[in-house]
Amino acid sequence: MVSDSPVYNVKISSVGPGRATVGEVVQHYGGLDLAMKLHYLRGVYFLGKAAAEGMTTTHIKESMFLLCNDYYMTCGRFRRSVGSGRPYMKCNDCGARFLEAQCDLTLEEWLDGYFSGKAEWNVGQLVYHLPVGPELFFSPPVYLQVTKFKCGGMSLGMSWAHILGDIYTATDFINNWGSYLAGHKSNGPFHQQAQPILNRPLLPTSPNGQTPEPLSLKRVDPVGDHWVTANNFKMETFSFRLTATQAAQITARQTHNKSKKPSLFESITAAIWKSIAKIREGINEPKRVTIIRKTNSSQDPMTGNNRIAIGSVSTDFSVAGSDSGDLAEWLSDRIGELVDEKDMIDEAVERDDGASDYVVYGANLTFVDLAGADLYGLESNGQGPEFVCYEVQGVGDEGAVVVVPWPKSSDGEGNEGRVVTAILPEEEVEKLKLELRKIGVLEED
Amino acid sequence: MPPILPDFSSTVRLKYVKLGYQTLVNHFFYLLLIPLLLAFTVEILRTGPQELLNLYLDLAVVLSSSFLITSVATVYFMSKPRTVYLVDYACYKPPVTCRVPFSTFMEHSRLILKDNPKSVEFQMRILERSGLGEETCLPPAIHYIPPKPTMESARGEAELVIFSAVDSLFERTGLKPRDIDILIVNCSLFSPTPSLSAMVVNKYKLRSNVKSFNLSGMGCSAGMISIDLARDLLQVHPNSNAVVVSTEIITPNYYQGKERAMLLPNCLFRMGGAAILLSNRRSHRSRAKYRLVHVVRTHKGGDDKAYRCVYEEEDREGKVGINLSKDLMAIAGEALKSNITTIGPLVLPASEQLLFLMTLIGRKIFNPKWKPYIPDFKQAFEHFCIHAGGRAVIDELQKNLQLSAEHVEASRMTLHRFGNTSSSSLWYELSYIEAKGRMRRGDRVWQIAFGSGFKCNSAVWKCNRTIKSPTDCPWADCIDRYPVHIPEVVKL
Repeated sequence: MVSDSPVYNVKISSVGPGRATVGEVVQHYGGLDLAMKLHYLRGVYFLGKAAAEGMTTTHIKESMFLLCNDYYMTCGRFRRSVGSGRPYMKCNDCGARFLEAQCDLTLEEWLDGYFSGKAEWNVGQLVYHLPVGPELFFSPPVYLQVTKFKCGGMSLGMSWAHILGDIYTATDFINNWGSYLAGHKSNGPFHQQAQPILNRPLLPTSPNGQTPEPLSLKRVDPVGDHWVTANNFKMETFSFRLTATQAAQITARQTHNKSKKPSLFESITAAIWKSIAKIREGINEPKRVTIIRKTNSSQDPMTGNNRIAIGSVSTDFSVAGSDSGDLAEWLSDRIGELVDEKDMIDEAVERDDGASDYVVYGANLTFVDLAGADLYGLESNGQGPEFVCYEVQGVGDEGAVVVVPWPKSSDGEGNEGRVVTAILPEEEVEKLKLELRKIGVLEED
Repeated sequence: MPPILPDFSSTVRLKYVKLGYQTLVNHFFYLLLIPLLLAFTVEILRTGPQELLNLYLDLAVVLSSSFLITSVATVYFMSKPRTVYLVDYACYKPPVTCRVPFSTFMEHSRLILKDNPKSVEFQMRILERSGLGEETCLPPAIHYIPPKPTMESARGEAELVIFSAVDSLFERTGLKPRDIDILIVNCSLFSPTPSLSAMVVNKYKLRSNVKSFNLSGMGCSAGMISIDLARDLLQVHPNSNAVVVSTEIITPNYYQGKERAMLLPNCLFRMGGAAILLSNRRSHRSRAKYRLVHVVRTHKGGDDKAYRCVYEEEDREGKVGINLSKDLMAIAGEALKSNITTIGPLVLPASEQLLFLMTLIGRKIFNPKWKPYIPDFKQAFEHFCIHAGGRAVIDELQKNLQLSAEHVEASRMTLHRFGNTSSSSLWYELSYIEAKGRMRRGDRVWQIAFGSGFKCNSAVWKCNRTIKSPTDCPWADCIDRYPVHIPEVVKL
């Protein structure tokens, strides 16, 4: 019924700025950006038939060229500084890789297949992805794939190198594209950059070493110019959806004290953390988790990893043995007073001028809360997307869980559904599914 | 002080001598006329009024002299070639989605030729020294990795370029499709059936008795050939409009192999096209931009080396490409010399021609070691449009014709902004000069084109009216950035 891949007829080209970026424009990266270089965000936006009306290749490309006029700092290629070898970007208008593909299924069919959990369905079919390297000169940091479905709908898949920016900058990128599609936006005048663009404040090299080591960062063996996380296990992804009702039930089950009700993210985190702890029993039980969520800052720069808050919580008690409700409450308290480690990560990386390679996602078991990301802000023909999902590529061995809001499923009482994507070692995936079914988070097949 | 002053005064003296000589020789006949006129006036005054009246009353004398004057005038006006005016022209501006920055071109090359790093290296070196800029354009089909040149996409490019240029021309001139009497389309490497001129006739529903021509295979100099053809046709057909469309369709001719000599055109040829309206109607005289003065065509195909220097053939793997030989520049120089020999006497002022003649005689009779005199074409023309075939071509011509940087600026900047657009590049260059506001009434323009064969064709135009910088030409949004300094080697 379904061949090797239902997606076929792939055509590859590039989109870049329509306007020449004049002068030697260069983008520098801060410590945190460099720490994120082995990670890639992959998102897919599914547009229904009405939204995808009139989306010819020409129309899509035209709007993307206009978008890239503003985002020329994502359209360059990486270079290494002479001497220190620190990566930076030369804004040479090379562009993002652009793919066009077709799929013989309808949107519904594809989504059902994806959530059925079968191995042959994966986001990789809709988001072409190659890591940066081994030739930095010729590696695009951004891949965009447009897939047309049998029902007339289409999907836009994006692979976005985390060094460029966090999920909030990535979603802004896509939402701005929507504005150009509709013709609502036009480029401002081009400002010739006199100074190189900086994402994070540049710290002096070898700072005084007074700050403590960040818990959310892990150094890995050097990867050279091939920016791929070396895993000891084969990592696998599985996703499941929680309707608003299901989500409300999970929270209710874990609320012991009505006045201290944990948030949905905290409930899910507690449930999954406990399940994973049970699977990795004994010495491998994850005693520390990293939480990544939106920061309170009101700034919204176009690129850079400034809009996320990264912090870790550690336990000294056994997570596997604890009650999930208590765990959720404990987590709620700790998350409330979580220390944002972004500056600490900056300093740690700067100690050797960015020469070492690190992972953040998967350094510890990581939980990412994408609430607050305007995922459904993309507008096409006046309509929003049917469905949006995101995951992370290049996660370290400890694994990561991404919790994405699902506003299309709401119960009228202010509860929204969620899409949960777990990226874990292959052998843990089935076990996790079993555990989640046991505790009622995942529905029976 | 003493050693410097004599040199300075001798240079000044030389300048005045030169000026005096030029004025004397160039206006020789006018200067001769003055004493003649004086003598005639003296003679009339001496003759006296009575005798003049007698002469006047003699009917035979009056009739025969008026008959003589009328017949001479009639013969003169009948045999005078019809003046051909260039009413206006429009150049195609590609959309931004077709833009190919250096980095994108190299990256695509790297991915397409992944098994041939030496060929990729070669292309990088060519691009670095090519004189092209970051805004040149390739057609959509060539943007794919690997390129997808189908007949359909080639037709698509032809429609895009030609129809846009022709629409733009209609807008600028107010011409109606049914008023087109002659249509000439030239595109060297893409010649489908029905022809591109039939495609234009079909799209704009031209009259059934339109005289349409399609010139293919004639290389980058085909634009001038089309102008020549249009001129000849306008001699035969009175009161007519001729539309000339010059373009080169890149899609089917992108070389997909790995031979280095054949990869060169991939680096240089870019999308472009122009549509020109020529007319011999008196009503267009006042609003026409230019008047066609001369067209000179030189064909060196009789020489085998010249014939083979730009040769389309299959490489070892059977992939078709255009092979450029190593002595292209030398042959171009020879062709130019031939062309100059013909055009020189037509355009050079008498002073230069005399000097050239004297030096020639001197070399033949007295001393062969005398340096050949290179006529100063800057005295014959205010503006030069040299086909933007490549940086080497422009450098060579600048040296041979002893032109200043400003004279070749239009050519260099067109190569930078639009690349080598083949036959239409001369029109982009002319548009540049107009956009810079340098075109004044009475200015003479020399367009020189080179092409396979090997041919050197040139056209001489005289500006009919001072042209204000147009707001809708392809240079409109970027003319302020030009001229740009183009480094010898661009670091990629």
